[in-house]
Amino acid sequence: MEKVGFTTTIPVEAVLAAGLVPVDLNNVFIGSADPSGMVEEAESDGLPRTTCGWIKGLYQAVREAGIRKVIAVTQGDCSNTHALMELWQADGVETIPFGFPYDRDPDLLRLQVRKLMDALGTGEAATLDMFERLRPVRGKLARLDEMTWRDGVVTGGENHLWLVSSSDFGGEPARFESDLDRFITEADRRERPLGRKLRIGCIGVPPIFTDFHDAVESMGCSVVFNEVQRQFSLPYPDADFHSAYMRYTYPYDVFGRIADIKVQAELRGLDGIIHYCQSFCFRAIEDILIRRGVRLPVLTIEGDRPGPVDARTQIRIEGFVGMLREIKGL
Amino acid sequence: MISCGIDLGSRAVKLVLMDDGRLIHRAVYDTVVFYRDFGRVEAGEFSVSFGLLGLPAGFDRLTVTGYGRNTVKVKGASVIPEIKAHASGAVFQSGLSDFTLLDIGGQDTKVVKVVGGLTADFSMNDKCAASSGRYVENMAAILGMTLDEISAYHELPEKLSATCAIFGESELIQKIAEGVPRESLAAGVNLSIVKRVLPMLRRYPDGPVVFSGGVARNGAVAELVKTHTGREVIRLAEPALNGAIGCAVV
Repeated sequence: MEKVGFTTTIPVEAVLAAGLVPVDLNNVFIGSADPSGMVEEAESDGLPRTTCGWIKGLYQAVREAGIRKVIAVTQGDCSNTHALMELWQADGVETIPFGFPYDRDPDLLRLQVRKLMDALGTGEAATLDMFERLRPVRGKLARLDEMTWRDGVVTGGENHLWLVSSSDFGGEPARFESDLDRFITEADRRERPLGRKLRIGCIGVPPIFTDFHDAVESMGCSVVFNEVQRQFSLPYPDADFHSAYMRYTYPYDVFGRIADIKVQAELRGLDGIIHYCQSFCFRAIEDILIRRGVRLPVLTIEGDRPGPVDARTQIRIEGFVGMLREIKGL
Repeated sequence: MISCGIDLGSRAVKLVLMDDGRLIHRAVYDTVVFYRDFGRVEAGEFSVSFGLLGLPAGFDRLTVTGYGRNTVKVKGASVIPEIKAHASGAVFQSGLSDFTLLDIGGQDTKVVKVVGGLTADFSMNDKCAASSGRYVENMAAILGMTLDEISAYHELPEKLSATCAIFGESELIQKIAEGVPRESLAAGVNLSIVKRVLPMLRRYPDGPVVFSGGVARNGAVAELVKTHTGREVIRLAEPALNGAIGCAVV
């Protein structure tokens, strides 16, 4: 079956309904044996050093995974994707643009979805049917998320991996679901932790650091909220297809994200928030509004290239954790 | 009780001995020289050769902080986060418990909000050593000034656009060629440091600014911080040793 890449979460149901294999290029990049080498390869082709590491990774992922068709999110993510599309087009890769309307206009979203279905050769009935087939899988991801923040039996790193993988369900939703069932059964048998640890929320795009969650949790904290990763799992169990993608916060304005972060911070009893920003990303500007909107201590960190958390970032996280301990008297 | 505090900085290692709150010994070593000549790695831990440093072995307490502690574990030492070390040092040295700490070191700038003697929030510079101590060192070298000399100028600053510790050099050379007075360039260098830290200081607008780190020796920078914030600026007696002192008193 033909693989179709995409640059950030799109209505994956349409790809599956068309009988194609969805491939989140971000997962190909960061899950590869040498993501750092992929960035270097992209730079040797001329992509600027002062450009997002994810963009360079996506560029190379298409080449290495032999992908000939890509859905490129042209609105709702960054404009670097436009130039990326052009590079792919020049390489003979078919590109299908998809835009999340900035103002969440429901008619424009419907139109975008319809054009996507047309481009992939599928229709609304099949897409909606696929959405219903994925509903229980997403329900299980919501259970896994609860097992992270409520039961404390799933680590923040495990939570991150499962939720981030739900953008494409590993290309095979049935297999993803059975792996998830096995994981949940195993995790449910784990001992409930005793005592209270600091509860950290991680917001922003998934960090490019390969050991970020382990690094934070090794300092005696629990990461109990992965904001954007959770959004990738479309955590709206009662919503229909269109309203789920309307409520999905990631591609729209930052205010929707802030509202979601505040609700989840309260629910999960967060002590502090780590805001990850990718170097050179426009989302670093939104940090201003996040700090104004979220009434919790916020540490903003920045990553450029894939690899373990660097010493500079490590001392920032340690300082933040130390400060929260003092504030909380832990 | 004798306690030893060590701040493993990016450019220098600072070491102090304190006897019940009294500073009885201070030393500053180049970071590379310190690791190379004054200790060895045993089973993954860096064992400091206090004898080679001319110090008695065995203190009542040994506490370290700083960059190196991520990669180097110091044998027999307890480790505290950098922010905590600097905040504790500033509380001890200033005798204050509510202030904003501004620490400008070799590569890093930190701004810490201290309330009731504890850290309430902090910011650090982004991934760039612009407007750090290293920037001043490089610019002073281009101007043919010592660090003390460059610290004397804050009036009529020349506008400088590049705060990069490397690209700033070519900009200065260009300005020298244009005949801009050295004094104005020195003031421009000092002002560019201040402009870089003002957004961080603005986040924590309350109380006096307690200034630490090697750059706190630069009187012109302190003066410019005062002018641009309208706040009282208190320079610590031992600005560069503040993190090490914080380790010793924590």
